[in-house]
Amino acid sequence: MNAPDRYERFVVPEGVKKVSYERDTKIMNAATFTVEREDHTIGNIVRMQLHRDDNVLFAGYKLPHPLQYKILLRIQTTSQSSPMQAYNQAINDLDKELDHLKSQFEGELAKHTRDY
Amino acid sequence: MEGVSYQRFPKIKVREVKDDFMKFELRDTDASIANALRRIMIAEVPTIAIDLVEIEVNSSVLNDEFISHRLGLVPLTSERAMSMRFSRDCDACDGDGQCEYCSVEFYLRVKCLSDQTLDVTSKDLLSSDHTVVPVDYSDASSSFDNTPNKGIIIVKLRRGQELRLRAIARKGIGKDHAKWSPAATVTFMYEPEIYINEDMMESLTLEEKTELVESSPTKVFGIDPENKQVTGKCMIVGNPSAPPGIPLCGSRWPNMIWDYASGEIPCLFFEKVIVVDPEAYTYDDEVLKKAEAMGKPGVVEIHAKEDSFIFTVETTGAVKASQLVLNAIEVLKQKLDAVRLSDDTVEADDQFGELGAHMRGG
Repeated sequence: MNAPDRYERFVVPEGVKKVSYERDTKIMNAATFTVEREDHTIGNIVRMQLHRDDNVLFAGYKLPHPLQYKILLRIQTTSQSSPMQAYNQAINDLDKELDHLKSQFEGELAKHTRDY
Repeated sequence: MEGVSYQRFPKIKVREVKDDFMKFELRDTDASIANALRRIMIAEVPTIAIDLVEIEVNSSVLNDEFISHRLGLVPLTSERAMSMRFSRDCDACDGDGQCEYCSVEFYLRVKCLSDQTLDVTSKDLLSSDHTVVPVDYSDASSSFDNTPNKGIIIVKLRRGQELRLRAIARKGIGKDHAKWSPAATVTFMYEPEIYINEDMMESLTLEEKTELVESSPTKVFGIDPENKQVTGKCMIVGNPSAPPGIPLCGSRWPNMIWDYASGEIPCLFFEKVIVVDPEAYTYDDEVLKKAEAMGKPGVVEIHAKEDSFIFTVETTGAVKASQLVLNAIEVLKQKLDAVRLSDDTVEADDQFGELGAHMRGG
């Protein structure tokens, strides 16, 4: 009867920020990003992309609790970069990768349907 | 300020495409991308499914909820879903989900008048939109069985029973309810790389080889039929200067034993163990354990290529398999776009940065 709505799992509530950012108070160039209503799908690809960045010293994510629909992404970088810069770069690279993937797939599909 | 790009350029090779099935190879990327695509295909690519049912008359043996649930699970053709709106953020209607941008209306009116049981099926659902209809599972290729295809059975009626209802189908995703999942199965596996150490393999007897081949629960290995054991006499074509009794490596038959004792040259071809189907391997390690038990560890080596994946995608028929993959890529792009930092977050941090520097005395 008092079950929360199912869409609460993936719709960001009003007044809540999708991504919030909090600097680490003790470590230089370290920060935690809180991403609302996301899970391993986004967390893991962003983390792995960050690992490809030479300026990233640490990148990790966690899903704190299965009923808290958010992930925490922690990044520490060298002084050449910043967590925010690394985060933006990772997303841009992933976006370009997916663009490439899409055109590859469409090309292959066209080749395959022509062969019929 | 812009950093260097660490972008990858993955490759795709399509192996097989059918309407509701496809198989392809994904290369030059990592498991996180493969798994993200899989997760999205299962739970986040939108489709259309019946979400609200108003029952007018129901004198069937099944109760209203039971029928509503069954109706929800009927796959509907959902090519339109990507461009449709979710009824919760549709501003053309006041959230009742009855406008053309976010919903499709269905009617079902059946009454049994004969003594024979009447099957109410998905084909009795009348749609208000011809692009959104129950998926037709009649297979044109199997015309030999002459049972008329009647769709998915919803309920059976006996004489005098009636079912009359109005249903509203909406756009949704599998994360919300599995009825909205377009995927029947989506799997990926690492491409295996299997090496056979030929020299070590030849030190095994035929029995041992057969044993090794058969230790794998799936048919990964086989014995090359072209290299069946033959003993006899033949002429050597190449390398006559090789010392006797030593296999002629590099010749056409590397396992041929050359013996000068007789005037002619007897030779022996051994069975060759070959990899029949590397993808049948289920990473069960049975062959490796067998090799170990036989005292020949390393006769077979198997690695998973960490950057190559073989995907199989099967859909419910709501969208084509190829379209499902494309939609998944599109959904993932939208998700990435949504997690970009907003300008006010960046601004707030810039101020914080100055403040922080100030506080540190810089």
